[in-house]
Parts: sequence; structure tokens; C-alpha cells
Amino acid sequence: MAAYILRRLVSAIAVMAMVGIFVFLLLRLAPGDPAAIIAGDKAAPQVIAAIRQQLGLNEPIPVQFVHWLFSVLGGDFGTSLFSRRPVLELISLRLEPTISISILTIILSVTIGVTFGILAAWRAGGPVDRILTAFATLGFSVPVFVVGFFLIYLFAIRIHWLPVQGYVSIDNGPGPWFVHLILPTLALSLPYIAFIARVTRASMLAVLSEDYMRTAAAKGASSYAMLFHHALKNAGVPILTVIGISFAYLISGVVITETVFNVPGIGRLVVDALNNRDYPIIQGVLILVSGLYVLINLVVDLSYNLVDPRIRY
Amino acid sequence: MTICRRDLIKAGLAAGAAISIPSVLRAQIAPTAARTVRMVMDDLATFDPTVTTATITGNHGLAIYDTLFALDSKLIAQPQMVGKWSVSGDKRTYTFQLRDGLGWHDDTPVTAADCVASIRRWGQVPSGGKLIAERAKDISEQDDRTFIISLKEPMGILLEILAGAVTPVLYIMREKDASLAATEQVTANIGSGPFKFNEALAKPGASFTYDRNEKYIPRHEPTDGFAGGKVVNVDRVIWENIADQQTALAALQSGEVDFVQKPAADLFPAIKSDPNLQLQALNKAGDVYFMRMNCLEKPFDNVKARQAMLHLIDQEAVMRTAFAQEYIRPVTSFFGNQSPYSNDENTEWYKKGGDPEKAKQLLSEAGYAGETVVILQHANWADGNNIEQFLAATLRKIGLHVELVPCDAAAFNERRKSRSWSIFMTAESDYERSTLASNPTLFANGEEGWYGWPKSDKYEALRARWANVETLEERQALAREMQRIQWDIVGTVLLGSVASPIAHRKTLTGLIEMPSLTAMWNMQKSPT
Repeated sequence: MAAYILRRLVSAIAVMAMVGIFVFLLLRLAPGDPAAIIAGDKAAPQVIAAIRQQLGLNEPIPVQFVHWLFSVLGGDFGTSLFSRRPVLELISLRLEPTISISILTIILSVTIGVTFGILAAWRAGGPVDRILTAFATLGFSVPVFVVGFFLIYLFAIRIHWLPVQGYVSIDNGPGPWFVHLILPTLALSLPYIAFIARVTRASMLAVLSEDYMRTAAAKGASSYAMLFHHALKNAGVPILTVIGISFAYLISGVVITETVFNVPGIGRLVVDALNNRDYPIIQGVLILVSGLYVLINLVVDLSYNLVDPRIRY
Repeated sequence: MTICRRDLIKAGLAAGAAISIPSVLRAQIAPTAARTVRMVMDDLATFDPTVTTATITGNHGLAIYDTLFALDSKLIAQPQMVGKWSVSGDKRTYTFQLRDGLGWHDDTPVTAADCVASIRRWGQVPSGGKLIAERAKDISEQDDRTFIISLKEPMGILLEILAGAVTPVLYIMREKDASLAATEQVTANIGSGPFKFNEALAKPGASFTYDRNEKYIPRHEPTDGFAGGKVVNVDRVIWENIADQQTALAALQSGEVDFVQKPAADLFPAIKSDPNLQLQALNKAGDVYFMRMNCLEKPFDNVKARQAMLHLIDQEAVMRTAFAQEYIRPVTSFFGNQSPYSNDENTEWYKKGGDPEKAKQLLSEAGYAGETVVILQHANWADGNNIEQFLAATLRKIGLHVELVPCDAAAFNERRKSRSWSIFMTAESDYERSTLASNPTLFANGEEGWYGWPKSDKYEALRARWANVETLEERQALAREMQRIQWDIVGTVLLGSVASPIAHRKTLTGLIEMPSLTAMWNMQKSPT
């Protein structure tokens, strides 16, 4: 197990390095000059050139790459070309909202999605299954921003229960923190609930048709015991995989929800940085997110052992 | 059916909890406090107002820095940090003395050395400051509170330039900050203005907080435009960067924010129908939208082709693609609608609805041979994007082969430098179109100038005289001559003017109505 974890961690570093090199080169080759954006619409070409020089953007790309590489190896991801603040500081400011939304979304999605999936499989073909299938189709089909604006209209504008937008750090108390996350979490959870419910249903259906389930039923096992002790455990691996992928995707893919609810998270940080060509921020975020992605997958892989003891590393 | 006591208690508790949920939730929503104003503004990406021409950085500067002179509501320069000033008999040496009580946010006093360093730094970037730097024999401090600007020749518009509200504005910085090169960003954010930048609460890309500078001593005169006493009536102003317009409106409706700087035109009906909200044009003269053609490349290297565009454009139709009818108006003067230099010289080209036949004729005379007209299309600016699409359709109707090239802001700037384009559009305030000494969009200095590169030596010679002229009447006469040349060479085609309103809650009053920049002093917020 330890050797396996070590191998995966080494591969995580390799993935981060590849992402770093790829992103660095891609950004330099893409059109767009951060110096021109800093200088503004009416800036003279000589001012833009001077800012480029000041920021070290006139150096050959290999030289810039070596400088950046040594900085990253020393734990320094550079400073924003615009705000002149350390990239790690900017990322740490944005990580809390994104992690908060992601964790709440995954908790809600897993709780409801797995429950719906089990119910649908248990009553396959019946009205409950049809209703839940319709809900899942709706969850996949309706864009997050539509759900978001509907929730804002209903809960913030009409009945004034919840705030429209913004994020309050958990340092300011769990109450305001939680209240500001209810609507983004609800909006974001819908497709994930649908996704997890569909996978759980399919996985459970496959297991419920196994011979040992029939045997359990013949021996007089209760529905609860059949579903939760026998079926769910054996259907767990694909469900865990989906949950892991969903969580990793959430960390890097909540930008629409962050925009609709004005949550200052990682997604918006990257989008703003891309618009401004703030290279150090884009590079820093993508390297860290790729590392996080690999780590989450590692945790998921290790958790397989909990539901299926036959899996060994 | 029987109801036991325990079930009754459980049901009662559950009902009580359910009923109390809304009030519990509401209690967690922080309302905007009565002495805190929340404003939805653009993203403040760069802090140094000398490095950039970005308007949002100019607004940041207006809050935390102070200016030597400032424009009043009639756009006349009035002393702000300066207490007394005088000019020598030969009109070549100006002496300025700072008023009492000026201090930096770090509790050190403002000195003449700070002013001298700030002017010199400002003079390094193309602006009014560069003109002063070119014409100055000496800029130096006489004592702690007095400094001089000594000129090689008289410069009638010196005070107007010092007070200018076109970015980059002359904001006075500490000497140690102003000693940096003008292309190296100052990040200290320490000024002597009416607001202090709260570094601890700064969240780049999300929100910035400005606290009232309790030690700021305003001038005694009443507030008048950017001039007069900068009296701050609130404790704190928070700039929120809300990327989505619909979310910004919802936040305004719910009272989470008090002010939205750029509401989209399609949201105006919703704003007007809300009894708590109000639309208000702070820049009454409006913004002038215009397009620049690449005078160095075909087909617009031919003046006839550029004149064809001047005759083709139906300003009202163009502006209606992006703005509500009630806020738009045509603009025919090169110097905008409301500046003192606005005039009707050589404006016979203007015809309501445009003149496509005349445009076709001019295009034919220009020898247009089917070259591709590349229009740069803003991907991140909805109003601009709409107008550019309409322009493309209009040009196609008279037989031009048009290609729209979508670009985000960074790619737009890059492409514009490359010269491989034919048309781009942009906008600036009506006021900026009167700032001939500092605004590069009004120059005609060819390849040394701003994108589009129109060239007229005669125009430039007149523009060089501009700074020397003493009286308004003389400048107005010069403006007529210059406009005649501009509408002959056609480096720019005006697309129309719009006085876009901001949206705010009716509880927010006292907003200063001025062009170009948004001031935060004088405004008041009532609790209901």
C-alpha cells in the first residue's frame, strides 16, 4: 500500500510538472499582451513596451521559463502582473469559497443522489422510478445559471430569506457562511444529484439481479438488509468513482455558479486572470488544481478497499 | 385517533422551528449598514493611476489621492490642494503654495517635494503631463509648501491640464512612490485624499474597501464637480466586482448593494419599475462612440474610402443596437456635443439615416477592389459587440467584404498593435473629446500616434498652438479650423453619443454628476 501511494504521489508531481510546462508555453504562444492591458486602452506603444520590459516579458521564453521553474521549485509561484501580490496569497484567498461550495455540494449530492438511485433501483419500472428518472433528466438538462437565477428570484427577491450574492468567510461565523452558500449549493447540486442518482440506479440494478440477491431474498432478508448490506456495498465502486470525479470536477469547474452568485472563488480567479493574461496566476492555479485532482483520485482509489476488500494495492 | 402529549410537544417544536427558519436565515444576511455604501464597479486590476489609462484605476485614484487643481461642474479648473497660486508677469513662471492641513494617510505631511516628484513622474507618460514636461524649464520646490513650474514659453492651458480628469490624471503621491519610473507600479496605495484604502480587506478581483479619512480637511467651498470641499458623509465604501449584470441588479433590488455603475440597457425596464431604484446619468454630456480606421492599410489608406464611412453611418441606428433610445443622441462635432469647442464646421456629411448611395460613390472613387475589411469585435463587451455586428452588416450592404474577428481584451490590444485590421471601435467621454493637449484620440500625428494613425501636419501645427492660446474665443476659432481638417482626413468616424445612467437605490443621494470619473465624496445614505 505504501509503495502504491508513493508511486501515485510521484506521478502526481509528474502530472503537475507537465501541466506547468504545457500551460506556460501555451500562454506565451496565445495572442494577448498583459502589458497592454495594464497600460490601458489609450496607452502609447512606448509605454506598453516599457511595462513589458519592467515585467520581464521581453526576455526569451526559455529564459522566462527557467526563471519561473526555479521560483516554483523554491515554493514561489510568482506575483500577479496586475495586483503585484503573491500568487499563493491570491489563491489562498479564493480557495476557501470554492472548497466550501464543493464540499457542501458533494455532501448534498451524495446524500440525495445515492438515496434517489437506491429508491429508483428498488422500485425499478414503477412510478417512483419514473419520477426520479424524470427528475434526473431535468437535473441534467437545465443549465446551472437558469436554476441559479430562479433560486435568486424566489428566495432572495420574492421572499427575502436568503442573500442574492457574495461570500462570507467561515471566520465570521458559521451562520452567515452557511446562509451565503445555500443557494449556490442548491443550484450546483442539481446536475450532480442527477448524475449520482443515475449511476447508483444502474449499479444497483446490476447487483440486484445477481443470484446471491435472489438467495438473500429467499432466505427472508428484509428489504433494508438486501439494499444496504448486500447490494449497496457491492455496487459501491462505480458510485465512489463518480463521487471522486465529481468532487475533483467541482473544484475546478464551479465558475458559472461563482459568477451567478458572485462568489469569489478559484474559477473566477482563473477566468479573470485569463482575460488579463495574468500568467503567474493561471500557471499557479492550474498546477495546484492538477495536483489536487490527482490527490482526490488517489483518495478515491484507496477508498475502494473499504467497500470491496478484494481490491488490494 | 388519539393525540398524546409527547406527540403534541414534538409537533409544536417542529412547527416552531419551521416558522422561525425565515427569520433565522434573514438574521444571517448582513444588510448594507447605513454608513456603508456598496458599489458595483469594474474590476480594479491595477492600482497605480499613473501607469494605466484604465478608468477604474482613475476612480481609485480619485478616492485615495488628491489633486492640485480640480474641475468644477462647468469644467473650469479650481484650486484643490493648492491654497494660493500666482503667475509671473511674463506668464512663464507659476508659483503654487499648498493649503494648510494636507497629510498623507501614513500621518506624514504633504510637501512641495511630493508634488514636484508626482508632476515629473506624470510627465513621463503620454498625457497632459508630458506636454508640461516638454515645455518646462524647471519644476522645483521652493520650500516645504511652495513649488514652481517655470516654462520656456507661456502656456495658457496649464491649470486646465493640471486639473484634467482624463486618465492618467495628475494625482499627488508621496515622493518615495513618485520616484519610481512611471511604468513601474506603485502598490502602496497611500494618498492624501478623502478616503483611505483598506489593505486588510482588499480582495483582488472581488472587492475593495475604502474608509473615510477622518483626518482629511476639506476645502471650505461647497462641493462643485470635482472641486470644492470633498466632504465624506459615509464611513466606508465597498467596491464589489459582480461579473454578472443580472446578479448585480438582483443585489440592488434586494438592498445588498446601493449602486451599479454600468447596468445593461435591457435591465432598465426592471429598474424603472422598482419603486426603490433610480436611474441617473452622472455624465450628462455622455460618452462618444467612435470607430477608427487603419489609415496605413487598404482600403482605408485611401481618404475617399474613409469619407465613405463618414457618409454611411446612421448614428441613431448604430446606437440603438446597444442603448435605449432616450439616452442616445447624434454627435457631429469632432470635439463632442457639450464641450466649449463643439462646433458645426464641415459637418455637411451628417444626414439622418446615413447616405449609403454617397458612400458607394466614394468607395468606387477610392478604387475599392474587394479587399477584406477586418473589424475587431469585442468578445467581452456586450455593447461594443452589438455595435460591431451592426457595423459589419451595414458595410456589407454597400458591397464591402467584411470579416468580424472576435477578440477578448488582451487579444484585441495585441491585434490592434499589429496593424492587420481595418476598423475597431471604442468610446470615451464627451469631456475627453475637448482635451486636445492630452488625448491621443484627437491627434493626427501618423505612425507616432494612436491606433489608426491618421496624419495631418497642418492639423498638428494647429494643435501645437493650442497650448499657447490664452482665451476661450481664440481656442474656439482654432477648434473650428481643426475640425475642418479632421472631417476632411477622417481618421475617426463618430457613431453617436449616449448618456448611460448608473442605477442606485433611492436611499443613496448626493452623487456627483461629472464626466469620466466617479467621485465618492458628498454622497449620503439614508437608512430607509
